Amino acid sequence: MEGKKRLVYVCEGGDCSERGSIELHAELADALHEKDGAGKNRLRKYPCFGGCEHGINVVLFPDKVFYSQVKMADLPEIVEHLTGDGQPLERLTGKVAKDVEQIVWDLLDTGF
Amino acid sequence: MAIDLQAKIPNNVDLATDPKLQRALEHWQPKFQDWWRETGPSDFREDQIYLRTAVGVGKGGWANFDFVKMPDYRWGIFLAEPEADRKIHFGDPVGQPAWNVVPGELRNRLRRLVVTQADTEPASVEQQRLLGHTAPSLIDLRNLFQVNVEEGRHLWAMVYLLHKYFGADGRDEAEDLLRRRSGNADNPRILQAFNKPVQDWLTFFCFTAFTDRDGKYQLAALAESGFDPLARSTQFMLTEEAHHLSVGENGVGRVVQRTAELMEQGTDPRSVGAIPLDIIQKYVNDWSTSSFDLFGGEDSSNAAEAFSCGLKGRYREGDGLYKDPKALDQIYTTQIEESGKLATLEIPLRRAMNALLLDAYHADCARIVDRWNRTLAKHHIDRKITLPSLRFNRQIGIHGGKTYDPAGNPLSRDEWESKKGEWFTTESDREYVRSCMVRVTEPNKFANWVAPPAAGIHDKPVEFEYVKFH
Repeated sequence: MEGKKRLVYVCEGGDCSERGSIELHAELADALHEKDGAGKNRLRKYPCFGGCEHGINVVLFPDKVFYSQVKMADLPEIVEHLTGDGQPLERLTGKVAKDVEQIVWDLLDTGF
Repeated sequence: MAIDLQAKIPNNVDLATDPKLQRALEHWQPKFQDWWRETGPSDFREDQIYLRTAVGVGKGGWANFDFVKMPDYRWGIFLAEPEADRKIHFGDPVGQPAWNVVPGELRNRLRRLVVTQADTEPASVEQQRLLGHTAPSLIDLRNLFQVNVEEGRHLWAMVYLLHKYFGADGRDEAEDLLRRRSGNADNPRILQAFNKPVQDWLTFFCFTAFTDRDGKYQLAALAESGFDPLARSTQFMLTEEAHHLSVGENGVGRVVQRTAELMEQGTDPRSVGAIPLDIIQKYVNDWSTSSFDLFGGEDSSNAAEAFSCGLKGRYREGDGLYKDPKALDQIYTTQIEESGKLATLEIPLRRAMNALLLDAYHADCARIVDRWNRTLAKHHIDRKITLPSLRFNRQIGIHGGKTYDPAGNPLSRDEWESKKGEWFTTESDREYVRSCMVRVTEPNKFANWVAPPAAGIHDKPVEFEYVKFH
């Protein structure tokens, strides 16, 4: 069921894409293609989360995990978390203001 | 997907294998270039601009950054990578294979969707034609031109669809896209917000923050389309559009920051050629509400048809966030003025597709306004910019013709008339803002009404010489 997959959003907003989020998205797509055999994750781009000063931002939903300042070097650990039972990478969380995070969760939640 | 960057029209759609289409587009190309010369940025043709040019898709880098003269910009046709065995994921045809040809019965409806989207692209270039002469910095000048050339590329993306999938009718529509003019009384652009003048940079920043953001939501809804070429075209356009939105969001944010810095120092912004918060608020009111109207009526049989046919989905429909991909037997609830009070209005969900998209847009706008307000708080300014209610100042839809205050409370017509001067820009306000617009051409120098950006472009520093004048 599509609806039960975890959504992995890579921000492609102006600041994040300047920092290489399009390329990071492509690398992550390759890694998930190779390692997410169970198809637990659905990788998507997102136009902007508003945490621009902390990009590259990667958001997991419905987990409500907000990764910031993500670099290519972080991808192996992120993929491990996405495909296994590992914990979120705490060093990449908590960088954007809580109210910014909440707005993003409100944007992603729908009553329909 | 093969990318041909050396072709007369750079593309990743195998144009060379379709000589008839290639000839048709190469016939349209000089007309586009004439239109660009006539209505695109005035002057600056010989100047070298540090621009991003789309060169493909994928992890090898989708864009190239380099100095280019705008008339030499390589406008190309790029679609996002196809998804194998893609299925339509909403509406009545849910589960069917996505279409790679236009279903005959949907031809007119789909053409209208494409033309309406396409018409906004050249319109915004025309609206911003003269702004380069008052750019507050080199990086802002570069950003303006980046937005302009990419809106031109978006026109190419839509014209490709018209030529390839809509035959003679599509070719006629492509010609008409170059004939209409923003603000022209006899042959205006289709949507009203794209006929409003953009004569100062605060307007440009509000336009890119609010009106281009409508574009993001329309493109995102079309990116869900069951018509696969449209979905892939708009997906790629969204990649470029994100920068335009950040130009607006950061641009207004920088105006707010400069004003806040001055207020924190005890300086009246007006005394030094900066822009007071009350004028910024009026600009936000003007451009946010005219952008609300771009979504169309909240209760719309056209929107219901576009959804049920599988042509236009809900925002992020493909993410599986919605409970029912057919949107049947559900009710959208909102509030509307009746006899001077707010009353509940129920709309069958399928007829409320524009309202749903508008709600997502409004939440996104609330996010950017909140960001500007954090800047005010950081400078200890005890005031906030407010985003108007979706009911405020609406010309169309269920609230069209009704009168509400910015918070969405019903007002009598007399109350509204007596207060509107507090809410909307006057000629005096606009004249003042225009008086602040001074051209700055030295690297790392900024007009006094706007703070420098936090970062430069593509790893270049803010002080980089983004425009080299000839």
